Amino acid sequence: MSDNTMNSGDSDELQDLFDSIVRANAGTPSAPPPPAPAAPPPAAEPVAAAPAMQTSVTSSPVPGGSMDEPARSMFESIGQMTRKIHDALRELGYDKSLEQAAAAIPDARDRLAYIATLTEQAAEKTLNAVDAAKPMQDKIEAEAEELIKEWDKLFAKQMDIEQFKALVSRTREHLKASSSYAKTTNDYLLEIMMAQDFQDLTGQVIKKIVDMAKQMETHLLAFLLEFSPNAPKPAENTSSLVNGPVYNAEGRTDVVTNQEQVDDLLASLGF
Amino acid sequence: MSDKNMRFLVVDDFSTMRRIVRNLLKELGFSNVEEAEDGQVALHKLKSSQFDFVVSDWNMPNMTGIELLKAVRADPTLKHMPFLMITAEAKKENIIEAATHGASGYIVKPFTAATLDEKLGKIFQNMNK
Repeated sequence: MSDNTMNSGDSDELQDLFDSIVRANAGTPSAPPPPAPAAPPPAAEPVAAAPAMQTSVTSSPVPGGSMDEPARSMFESIGQMTRKIHDALRELGYDKSLEQAAAAIPDARDRLAYIATLTEQAAEKTLNAVDAAKPMQDKIEAEAEELIKEWDKLFAKQMDIEQFKALVSRTREHLKASSSYAKTTNDYLLEIMMAQDFQDLTGQVIKKIVDMAKQMETHLLAFLLEFSPNAPKPAENTSSLVNGPVYNAEGRTDVVTNQEQVDDLLASLGF
Repeated sequence: MSDKNMRFLVVDDFSTMRRIVRNLLKELGFSNVEEAEDGQVALHKLKSSQFDFVVSDWNMPNMTGIELLKAVRADPTLKHMPFLMITAEAKKENIIEAATHGASGYIVKPFTAATLDEKLGKIFQNMNK
């Protein structure tokens, strides 16, 4: 790097930023240019940050010796906008609200981690209870079926007195065991029910996060409207294939909402 | 019909979901089930030991389900492996992508035991053809 670049405090960061933009552009040559401001604000008075930036830009070791024109003008615009934003934020008191929003992010992260923990615990508890209760139910079922066969034999008069006595005592044992199994199973059912308490807790936390997100959105939107009235709306839902559960299916035609639609779609394609 | 001893590999990054799928498979009589927490681990397991069936999520770290599917279909020894996707990804694009890369079935979460049973049955039917 040139001395000039080394001496200038910001330029390393700016260079990194620029490099990343160039790399991103090189990586996706067909991608539309980043949403640069439609009309770069004519800098009537030289903005404080701009001159410093320009020196570092011209001296930056870009292959070929100079940056191409669109990149440079974009770079300058970003610098000017940053300065304007900074000043305007102060004037408008947005710095406080953005500070609040930024402070809310770790909070939201913690809340979401909390939800993840609670839901995991609930699932774990429920599955454990099912695992514990299931063998008891299986045993009751199997024993009862065996006893039914025996009793059917009795009613078909295919049983002598000794066999009958054995059957009666086995039946008694079965009833005792069933009663105790039923009691234990009930306890597990209660446990399963109680494990659902996460719904209440996570519901509250989620509501708070939604409120926070709304607030942040409002702040940022107001902010964006202020500074880029001509900015294009961000492309709606680019064609990523990793989106997670669809939580906003209403009115959308690009998603399916149940298994039937999956099957229909596949069938229509001949799969 | 299907061999109840066939060996399943359940691939999902959430242990709860793996456990649920494992339990459902057990309920359907398949108790020979292994688990993997992402596509990378799954591919390693598939290559190092014998499996008969893959049930995979889509969205996972390291290697996604669709990448796993492509890798399986590209491997000469694995390419005929039945591969069922069970995923929350519900865009039509996803379903078409999975189908064109040779998924044997596609189930969207949340799903029911009956759906899993039906899809497995269908896949076994196609296998026996």
